[in-house]
Amino acid sequence: MTSTQTPSSTRGLAPTPPPAKTPSGLGATARRWGHRVADRRYLPVAGTLLTLVLILVIGQMRYSTDTRSFVNMRLFSNLFVDNSYLLVLAVGMTFVILTGGIDLSVGAVVALVGLVVAKLLIAGVALPLVLAAGVLTGALFGLLIGVLVHYFQIQPFIASLAAMFLARGLCNVVSVQSLSIDDKGFTDLASWRLKFGEGRDIWYVNLSMIVALVVVLVAVYLLHYTRFGRTVYGLGAGDGGQAVGLMGLRAARTKVWVYVISGTCAGIAGILFAFYTRSGFNLTGIGMELDAIASVVIGGAMLTGGSGFVLGTVAGVMVYGLIQVLIAREGLDSWWTKVFIGAVLLAFVLLQRALTSTRAGRRRSNREESPGRSRRFRAAAAPPPTADA
Amino acid sequence: MSPTSTTDTAPAAAKPVVEMTGITIEFPGVKALDDVALTLRPGEVHALMGENGAGKSTLIKALTGVYTIDSGTITVSGAEQRFDGPADAQAAGVSTVYQEVNLCANLSVAENVMLGHEVRLGPFVNWPATRRAARAHLARFGLDIDPVSMLASHSIAIQQLVAIARAMVVDAKVLILDEPTSSLDKAEVAQLFDVVRQLRADGVAILFVSHFLEQVYDISDRMTILRNGRLVGEYLTSDLPRLELVSKMVGRASEDLADIEAVARRAAAPSEGAREPVLQALALGKDGSVEPFDLDLFEGEIVGVAGLLGSGRTEVARLLYGADRPDQGTITVRGKHVKGASPLGSLQRGVALASEDRKKEGIIGDLTVRENIALAMQAERGAWRRVPAKELDATVAKYIDALGIHPANPDALIKNLSGGNQQKVLLARWLATAPKLLLLDEPTRGIDVGAKAEIQRLVAQLASEGMSVVFISSELEEVLRLSHRVVVMRDRHKVGEIHNGPDVTTTTVLETIAASGSAS
Amino acid sequence: MTGTITGADGRTRFQTTVARVTGHQLFWPVVALVVLLLACGIVSPGFLDVTVRDGHLFGQPVDILRQSATPLLLAIGMCLVIATGGIDLSVGAVMAISLAVSLTYIAESGTGSNLSTALTGLFLGLVVALAIGVFNGFLVTVLGIQPFIATLILMIAGRGIAMLVTKGQITTVTSPPFKSIGSGFVLGIPTPVIIAGGVFVLVALLVRRTALGMLLESIGINREASRLAGVKSRNITWFVYILCGLLAGLAGIVYGAPTMAADSNNIGLMKELDAIMVVVLGGTKLDGGKFSLAGTIVGALILTTLERAVVIFHLPTQVTPLFKALVLIVVCVAGSERLRGKLKIRRTSRPVVAAEVAA
Repeated sequence: MTSTQTPSSTRGLAPTPPPAKTPSGLGATARRWGHRVADRRYLPVAGTLLTLVLILVIGQMRYSTDTRSFVNMRLFSNLFVDNSYLLVLAVGMTFVILTGGIDLSVGAVVALVGLVVAKLLIAGVALPLVLAAGVLTGALFGLLIGVLVHYFQIQPFIASLAAMFLARGLCNVVSVQSLSIDDKGFTDLASWRLKFGEGRDIWYVNLSMIVALVVVLVAVYLLHYTRFGRTVYGLGAGDGGQAVGLMGLRAARTKVWVYVISGTCAGIAGILFAFYTRSGFNLTGIGMELDAIASVVIGGAMLTGGSGFVLGTVAGVMVYGLIQVLIAREGLDSWWTKVFIGAVLLAFVLLQRALTSTRAGRRRSNREESPGRSRRFRAAAAPPPTADA
Repeated sequence: MSPTSTTDTAPAAAKPVVEMTGITIEFPGVKALDDVALTLRPGEVHALMGENGAGKSTLIKALTGVYTIDSGTITVSGAEQRFDGPADAQAAGVSTVYQEVNLCANLSVAENVMLGHEVRLGPFVNWPATRRAARAHLARFGLDIDPVSMLASHSIAIQQLVAIARAMVVDAKVLILDEPTSSLDKAEVAQLFDVVRQLRADGVAILFVSHFLEQVYDISDRMTILRNGRLVGEYLTSDLPRLELVSKMVGRASEDLADIEAVARRAAAPSEGAREPVLQALALGKDGSVEPFDLDLFEGEIVGVAGLLGSGRTEVARLLYGADRPDQGTITVRGKHVKGASPLGSLQRGVALASEDRKKEGIIGDLTVRENIALAMQAERGAWRRVPAKELDATVAKYIDALGIHPANPDALIKNLSGGNQQKVLLARWLATAPKLLLLDEPTRGIDVGAKAEIQRLVAQLASEGMSVVFISSELEEVLRLSHRVVVMRDRHKVGEIHNGPDVTTTTVLETIAASGSAS
Repeated sequence: MTGTITGADGRTRFQTTVARVTGHQLFWPVVALVVLLLACGIVSPGFLDVTVRDGHLFGQPVDILRQSATPLLLAIGMCLVIATGGIDLSVGAVMAISLAVSLTYIAESGTGSNLSTALTGLFLGLVVALAIGVFNGFLVTVLGIQPFIATLILMIAGRGIAMLVTKGQITTVTSPPFKSIGSGFVLGIPTPVIIAGGVFVLVALLVRRTALGMLLESIGINREASRLAGVKSRNITWFVYILCGLLAGLAGIVYGAPTMAADSNNIGLMKELDAIMVVVLGGTKLDGGKFSLAGTIVGALILTTLERAVVIFHLPTQVTPLFKALVLIVVCVAGSERLRGKLKIRRTSRPVVAAEVAA
């Protein structure tokens, strides 16, 4: 530090005390945590959690009886049994959405993987190979999309749409009839479960739940504890990955990898869905990609990329599942689910919109940056001047 | 091209850490850099100076590995380098702080500082340790901010310092600061400069790019000046008076364009006060863009705006047109007070702006010349009432002929035209709206000499026909040749107004620009 | 070309004509269509025959035209939305809602055989579709939400809303006048063909006779430059979302009228994707800007002929998506090859940054 420093701190600039004076004590720590909680990164997720709690409270008030509480382990157990495949899909989708992309193919891939698994088992292929083939099928579709998006510069929407058509078409090549799975090993895996509790409070943990949990943990590890994960977030920073590239990180490779991850998750979800239905069927999973996208957005991720959390996605899937539970308990018809999901989605999109506009507003007022200037900066950063520039 | 005027007699100059010689970079159709040299020594702040298009950013990108050079050599720490991407340059010890684009605003401060150099624990990033390391790096620059906080939640000034902290994580030998101060206020600049001086004391070579002359003189030890992709020379800052610097940057191309001057001077000098101004701006300003200024514009008068890039000259035009919303002051057009200025409203009031950024704010690349000319005229009428084909054809034919647009094919896509012809098409677009006031922001930039002369002639002619014209250009001689009156801008302030006459020379204007006195 | 009349000149003129034709954006789509039709004609010799029965036209080509009506109606609106750089994912759901509203009204009125009842039903269906278009446009233009997300909301909720309207039933009604919208004939030509053709001509006139088309393109190509030129992009963009919604409603009614059953789960399912594909096949780029309305006709015909060809070739109809995927991938990759060419012209070896920026 130079000693001639003027203590002329102004708005925006942190006071510049000598570095020796690091804030200490409970007060500072508490203040720091207060700031962190109020951080706008966490606001959408806080909204998700609030929604989740709200739904649970409503359920508890309306459906609890003297002998049974609505909120119990069994509720959560059922929730995850019914939605484990969706959870895995949504986690994969989170990677893609964080980079600002989209993957429309996952529903069709789930159907294809189910059929591939069923067909191979019927043909008598060994179970481990079958499962590996299922996951690999998903990963290959992800790779296809990644290559189309990155190397051919096709918009993610169209690239994954093509992959979706491809997967649906292949489904129908494999079989146009439902193939039921009778393989002993497979059904054993599907029906394996651990029992907890007694009598009416009995609840289970099955293989799908464990797989989903592992996927969630791996995703948390990748996104939050590796350089790769931070690069994924950086790609969604809104400048097409330019910053990430200039920081010397592997932008191109990461861009392809997120689609491979999403595809792999679709492969795993396909197997979980086959566990769930014990069959493969070509019309499975129509619109499932929308459920996954909706869960991710409800979970607090921005569809523009760069913001969101895996655990938010988990909460989003739970909200999704609980809305279905509530609608069933109310005796309402199932289509109400879609209306409710749409309404929740609208609310979250509006919330995000409000957040981004205040963010932009704050940055502007903070820095009084005129649009004309900032445009010039970006222009200065963009490569090559063409003939007449 | 020979860098003749080099006055390199640095006392006991340390061994250079970067030596770039004979750097040439060609883009399709244009030499962005032509045999340029740059030398950086440890422990010095070296300013890279030049107007727009001089090749500063291209040179920086060559040094940081974003562009590959077509010829020349780059030597860093005595070893010749062939950079293939920013990572290579960073590995060689060259770090860059660009215009805020090289950080991810949605990541935390710690992540932005440490990404690529995280502290690891087995396969995991050890975040607590990484944050501690980030905190230590930040503390080095007097920054006490929560490393967990999101970068976007901090001011640009802080973000700039975070970017420097990131750049220095690798113990860079060379730090490139590309216009780091353009959105900072005075106190923030002072803090940034403290950090820069500290780094200089540590022996880092700093390449500093800024349009603010005061700052350059405040911080730099030496400067290299570029103009039109060529090297003007390298100078010790203390040896180079401001006036000389500005004239070297701006250049004095002696184009044989006397006839234009004659046309311009012949235009009847408007008698102010006698008439109502076409447009009157009172205390018009926008925070962080232009400080409040007054300006009256009269019929038949060409008002030049002189000032370096970033002086606020573009912003003046944008405010007058309503492209940006002013946050104070008033605009009156022909006696009528303007509320809520917008481009469409301005066009309807007879005010048009030809923007400086032809590509981004001017042409609609995939549309034809005819459609590009028709656009503003059509926008004025609304989507439903199409300009009758006959009328449009006549208008288009008229301007293609009058402006000499080549090729004279109204159905050619504008993106396939040369820069000069694109500019003429855009002029036609604005002229077709029959404006009373035409704001021209750098209408002659990046176009060849012939087209330049034609546009200057046109401007003079328009004024003589009674149009009021505001003419913004970085070429002072051009401004002086055409204008009746010159408004001088510096550091976002209007610092003077000069009535052009035989006794006014480029030196008069340069002195006003370079004057170090406090702004009015 | 110079005006000298020599043999060589005639040849050059021929060559330039060839170059102009092959260089046209619709050249390859048209070739694909012709090849498809010919292939069908060879496999099934009677394929291209058109007969007149009871004064009405019948035959495979007529069927293809009839079935092209729905995708064409959707694609016309979608094409304009895409021109502004947007997208409308809700059109499939809008089809279901409009049909549900129309048929529910007719069913409740109990006077389905009245022409006025059928017309009122039609009118109500279209009004609802219009309102949805207004809603989508509001989200996109006023609130500034990305078109993809804004229209995704109704893509998800829309089918639920349609189910609400029909109370979860597949509402079936008998209303000959309403049915004739989908299965009738006017002057021997199927009504849907007349409707789609009429709409196409109207929209084409609207877009090309006014300045709407040019302004749409200018917004899609360079929004900021358009703003500075005084173009009111908000109003124009909003308008095309409304038009897109309205046409989607009409498409739903035309599509569902022959069966007279409002099956909210299946009417218009995945049709939004078909519509987008038709637009892309028709030579309009998803990035916005230049659009080709004529291309949507070619695209719609390719789509329908492709579906028909699968039947002609005795393939299971369910593999149709496979061919759609192939066509889509080929068209997109072929298009992006130009992009890669452009990248090559730029200075070569800066893979990461250049690619990222271009993206």
